[in-house]
Amino acid sequence: MWIPIAILSAIGVICGIAIWVTNRTLPPEPASLKKAEEVSGKLPGMNCGACGFPGCFAYAQGLSKDKNVFFSNTCSTVLQDQNMLSGLEKILNLTIDKSAMEKKAVIGCNGNSETIGLYLGIGSCKSANKILKGFKTCPYGCLGIGDCIKVCPQNAIKINIDKKIAVVDPEKCNGCGLCVKECPRKIIKLVPADAELVFLCSYESAKDIPGREKCDFGCIRCRKCVKVCENNAISWDREKLIPEIDYSTNLECDASVKACPTKVLKKYPVAK
Amino acid sequence: MNSLLTIFLGMALINNFVLTKFLGLCPFFGVSKKISNAVSMGAAVTLVMVIASSATGIIYNYILVPYKVQFMDIIIYILVIAALVQIVEIIIRRTNITLYNALGIYLPLITTNCAVLGVTLINAQNNFTLVEGIISALGGGIGFTLMIIIMSAIREKNELADTPRSMRGLPIAFIIAAFLSLAFMGFNGLL
Repeated sequence: MWIPIAILSAIGVICGIAIWVTNRTLPPEPASLKKAEEVSGKLPGMNCGACGFPGCFAYAQGLSKDKNVFFSNTCSTVLQDQNMLSGLEKILNLTIDKSAMEKKAVIGCNGNSETIGLYLGIGSCKSANKILKGFKTCPYGCLGIGDCIKVCPQNAIKINIDKKIAVVDPEKCNGCGLCVKECPRKIIKLVPADAELVFLCSYESAKDIPGREKCDFGCIRCRKCVKVCENNAISWDREKLIPEIDYSTNLECDASVKACPTKVLKKYPVAK
Repeated sequence: MNSLLTIFLGMALINNFVLTKFLGLCPFFGVSKKISNAVSMGAAVTLVMVIASSATGIIYNYILVPYKVQFMDIIIYILVIAALVQIVEIIIRRTNITLYNALGIYLPLITTNCAVLGVTLINAQNNFTLVEGIISALGGGIGFTLMIIIMSAIREKNELADTPRSMRGLPIAFIIAAFLSLAFMGFNGLL
């Protein structure tokens, strides 16, 4: 009876001593690791990868080596949470101007474009885009299958069933930019969070002015918005032939919003 | 040498840990959503299996058998495997930070994996010598890695398919694993 007890206790003690010896003899943790752990305590821990680093701990290591990494690769979740933001400012000795950095994503399509046929292929916008440039008559419209929905870590994007496009909820969006990279037609843009106007049409080809051929609900280049606006918030881009909103001044222009015949220019945040 | 090859192939393909013995299903279903994660997990499991089976092989052959206390194998193996994985994690963390970050959370996660304990108990059951035990653990680990990579490749493609809403995620993964298991029954007459 004593032999099993003795063997079990002996092995237990040997294991304990082995762990203790390993802990003591190996060189201690590098000091940068301690700081990285402190910093990662203030990060959201979602590991969404929007900052460009493979996970929140890798971001914390980058931050502990060089604090300006926060400005080149911003974590938008931290920007929205006041606790995390002030904690990070204290540890890294930074001053962060929150209002200047916050962004929101906007999908540049007004919806309701006609389809050229029923799509029965792989359920991904990227696949649909490769076949005949998509199944909608407008080659720059949102296909509405939802590649952007799958990558959004905040679940901020939903499909609008009437218009058959994806729409970003401005309250949930934190401007991380993952959807911008994911859209195969590149029609998602980041606008400042306090923007007053958004333009929901992404048609780009200057030669191929669509009129009402490709889409009944897009921009028809009437330029009413530019003529009516008094404070120069909107100007006409001569190369792309679409109105260009000046986000640096962020002035509002209710008259232009009312004057737009297809309602492509909208006040932001778009009312539900 | 012939018997070593038999043991290796047996543990890797014929008596595959996941598909024939149904051990190690937690990481198999949990980590098989992306191929890169699956490769890391498979490598970590193989490493732990080999280290664990070498240590427990020594204990079995030189302590338990001479004193005729083979019944103690389960509890002693649990103790030794837990301590070993902790030591391996401390060593990797202090010496090679890049490797530690690459393995990430997977190394402590497989301490309680039943496949690791399964390999050591199978070695005890079959009375393998130390070398045979290590080869069988290597085969088991490589078989597990092969399975988890195949599973993650299939699951990645399955993400794009139109699965019924109630079957998305784990239910369809179990059915896929069942088909894989049926397919691997074809290896039964290999040796």
